[in-house]
Amino acid sequence: MKCPRCDKEEVRVMVKSPVGDVWEVYVCDNCFFSWRSTETINVLPQFKLNDQKIATMQMIPPIPPLKG
Amino acid sequence: MVKTYKDLREFLVTLEEEGQLVRVKDEVMPEPDLGAAGRAAANSKSAPAILFEKVKGYKYSVVTNVHGSWENHALMMGMPKNTPVKDQFYELNRRWDKFPVAPKKLPREEALCKENEINENINLFEVLPLYRINEQDGGFFISKASVITADPADPEDMNSQNVGTYRIQVKDKNVIGIQALPFHDIGIQLRKAEETNTPLPVAIALGNNPLVTFMASTPVMYNQNEYEFVGALQDGVPCEITKADLYPHLYVPAHAEVVLEGYIKPRVRTVEGPFGEFPGSYSGCRLQGEIVIEKVTHRTNPIFENLYLGLPWTEIDYLMALNTSVPLYKQLKASFPEIEAVNAMYTHGMGTIISTKSRLGGFGKAVAFRLLSTPHGMPYSKIIIVVDEFVDPFNLEQVMWALTTRVRPADHVSVIENCPGMPLDPSSVPAGMHSKLIIDATTPVPPEPNPRDVELLKPSAATPKWEEFIKKFQAGLK
Repeated sequence: MKCPRCDKEEVRVMVKSPVGDVWEVYVCDNCFFSWRSTETINVLPQFKLNDQKIATMQMIPPIPPLKG
Repeated sequence: MVKTYKDLREFLVTLEEEGQLVRVKDEVMPEPDLGAAGRAAANSKSAPAILFEKVKGYKYSVVTNVHGSWENHALMMGMPKNTPVKDQFYELNRRWDKFPVAPKKLPREEALCKENEINENINLFEVLPLYRINEQDGGFFISKASVITADPADPEDMNSQNVGTYRIQVKDKNVIGIQALPFHDIGIQLRKAEETNTPLPVAIALGNNPLVTFMASTPVMYNQNEYEFVGALQDGVPCEITKADLYPHLYVPAHAEVVLEGYIKPRVRTVEGPFGEFPGSYSGCRLQGEIVIEKVTHRTNPIFENLYLGLPWTEIDYLMALNTSVPLYKQLKASFPEIEAVNAMYTHGMGTIISTKSRLGGFGKAVAFRLLSTPHGMPYSKIIIVVDEFVDPFNLEQVMWALTTRVRPADHVSVIENCPGMPLDPSSVPAGMHSKLIIDATTPVPPEPNPRDVELLKPSAATPKWEEFIKKFQAGLK
C-alpha cells in the first residue's frame, strides 16, 4: 500500500479497532500521515509531500547547540 | 462561595441540567461525525457540549464543545448561564487577585485518575477514541490536553512547573508529536533539556476540571503556577492534584479522566501536521518534537474530552478569549494604572483593544508598546487598537465609533516592522516574523495638540427611567 501523501510504500498497520474488527489505522513511516480504513482520503495537492519538501521543512522549535 | 467542580464529570452534570449538553446515544463513526458535530455545535445558538456514548470500534465515550459557548463559560465560573461577557471579565479579574492559592496535594489512593493503570504494551487507541478533527489534518489530534512539564534546571520548583495546552498528533500506539513553540513555556524547558541532550519528562492530563483546562490555555508568566491560579478562579478553593507515577516531581489534576506519562525525546524532530488551527486555516507540515508514552493511568470508563477548532468562533476561541484578556490586563495595569480594560478575544489576542485614560500626549501608543513587550503580546498581538477609558472595548460598535471619530490616520496609525509574529498566523512571513499595527484612537491630550476639542453628547438624567420602561415592555412581550 502507498502513502496517500508522500507515495512511499512504507505504510504499516498502526492499530486495529479495540472493539470488533471494524477498522484499521495505517501510518506512513516516512511522513507520519495516518488514516483509518473507513475514511475516503483525498490529500489536497498543496499538502502532498516528497523528500525535498521534508528536507527543507521548518523545524519547531529549532534544536539548540549542545552545551558543555 | 462560588460553585466549583471537582472534575469534568461534575461539570458535565451541570451542563446537562442547564440544557447545555446534548447526549448522543446512537453509535457514531469517528470520521466524519465527531469533527462535524464539533463544527455544528459551534454554529448553534448557545452552543452546547455534545457527549457521544458510542463510537464505532472504540470502548469509551467522547465529549466535545465543553467550553464552547458563553453559557458554558459562565457555568464553568459557577455563574448563571446568561451572565454577560463583560460581567464574566470583571468576575475573572476579581478572582484573579486571589492568586496564589496553594493546591491540595492528594495521596495516590484518593486520586481518581489512578483508578486504572497500564504499564506495558501502551496503546492509546484502547483508552482514547481518537479521530481526525478536520479533513486535511495529517492524522488524529489531541486538541485539548493539559501538558505538564518542569524546568530541567530546577525540577522541584512548583512555580515554574508548567501546565499548558499544546497540539498533539498521534504518531503511533505509544508515540505522539507535540508543538512546542520557542516562546511557549514548554519551549523554554525543552531547550534547556536539549542543550544537555536529556529527555524532558512530561505528563498529559485529559478530561479535567474545566478551570484546569481553562488555565492551561491561559498565558501566565513563566514563574506563575497554573494550579495556584485554578484555586484563585475557584474563589479560594484549592485545586486537587497528585504526583505522577513515573516522574513524581510532576503534579497532575487528581481527578483527570486520563493521564499519559512519558518523555520528550531530546534533539528529535519528525514531520507533524497539517492541522486545522485557531486562525481558521491549516498550518503546514513542520518538523516537531516527539513524546514516548511509557505509562497510562485512567478512571474507570474514561471520557475523552477533545475540542473542534475551525473558522472562528469555535470552542477553542472560548479558551483564549477572557483568559487572554485578563492576564494582559493585569500585566498592563501593573505598569500603567490608567488602563481600564483589555479585550484580547480576537484570535488569541492577535487583535487586541485596550481602553485607557491618557496621562500625556502619545500615551495610547506607549500603552500599545507595553502590550507588545508582554510575553504573550510580543509574538501574538499584531493589530492593537487603543481607545479612551469611557469606550467599552468589548462593545465593537463603540470601538468603531472611536476609530471613526478619533483617529487622524496620518498621525495615529503606526506600523512597526520586523517584530516577532505568531507562526500559525498565515500572514506571518516568514512564519514567526511580523509587522505590528497600532491605531491610537484616544482623544489627544497635551502636549499633543487637539485644536478641535469637542463636547461629547451625554444622555439625559431621565434616560435610565426610560430604559427601565422599555425593559418592562419587552419583558411583557415574552
